[in-house]
Amino acid sequence: MTYIPSADDLEVITREVWTSFLDGDPDGLLPGATAAGAEEVTGCVHLSGAYTGSIMLRCSGPAARYAAAALFSMQPADVTQNEVVDALGELANMVGGNVKSMLPGPSALSLPSVVHGQLAVPGAQVVREVALSWRGESLVVSLWQQAAQAA
Amino acid sequence: MRILVVDDSKAMRMIVVRTLQLAGYDEHEIVQASNGREAVEVISQAPPGLVLCDWNMPEMSGLDLLKGLRAAGWDVPFGFVTSEAAPQMREQALAAGAMFLIAKPFTPEDFQDALDPVLA
Repeated sequence: MTYIPSADDLEVITREVWTSFLDGDPDGLLPGATAAGAEEVTGCVHLSGAYTGSIMLRCSGPAARYAAAALFSMQPADVTQNEVVDALGELANMVGGNVKSMLPGPSALSLPSVVHGQLAVPGAQVVREVALSWRGESLVVSLWQQAAQAA
Repeated sequence: MRILVVDDSKAMRMIVVRTLQLAGYDEHEIVQASNGREAVEVISQAPPGLVLCDWNMPEMSGLDLLKGLRAAGWDVPFGFVTSEAAPQMREQALAAGAMFLIAKPFTPEDFQDALDPVLA
């Protein structure tokens, strides 16, 4: 039977990335959903092959700016849209690459894409999701799978 | 020594450079490229002593860069810094001529473990 990483796995991987590169605080990410507000940003990578689906990081606008500021070592107020896109894309790539290593292979990992708002993948469904809070802002990590594989 | 850092993410290039400094390699000159094609230009102008390269990039992937360098007879020491660290990726990297693969996220200690044998 194929092992699909659990919501706990998603949280552990995300926590490792956050602790390593964003604030160095293992307790910086708290479990539980937080209201995202109107302005959300989503970073996404796709997998195709033995496992076909996506890994998404969706966060509030302020969380996206905090993340970019941490990665670029600058103040959140000075962060540009390009830096938010770069940061969210790289975070999605890191979380996605680590999730991929737990999934059946071989599969190819796409380059990341970043959109403002939420993203849905046609024909795919969420199979795992974890809602976290970072600096009082929302961060949701989800694993998607193509419906044909999930069936 | 010159160390070439290749990654399409500017944020990740900055993190790699910071980690090199934290790991004690701050006496080395760091140069950067944002994809394999840019890296070829940098390497052809002045070969570095080490290439630290992402795997998944637009224009030219890290693996294609490494294969191209080896096919052209360039034997510059080459290591991957990538989010993909499954055993088959490591095997693929080593088979193509990489000396090591550092998984993202990483620590300065990970860099020391991989780079000390190369830079010693």
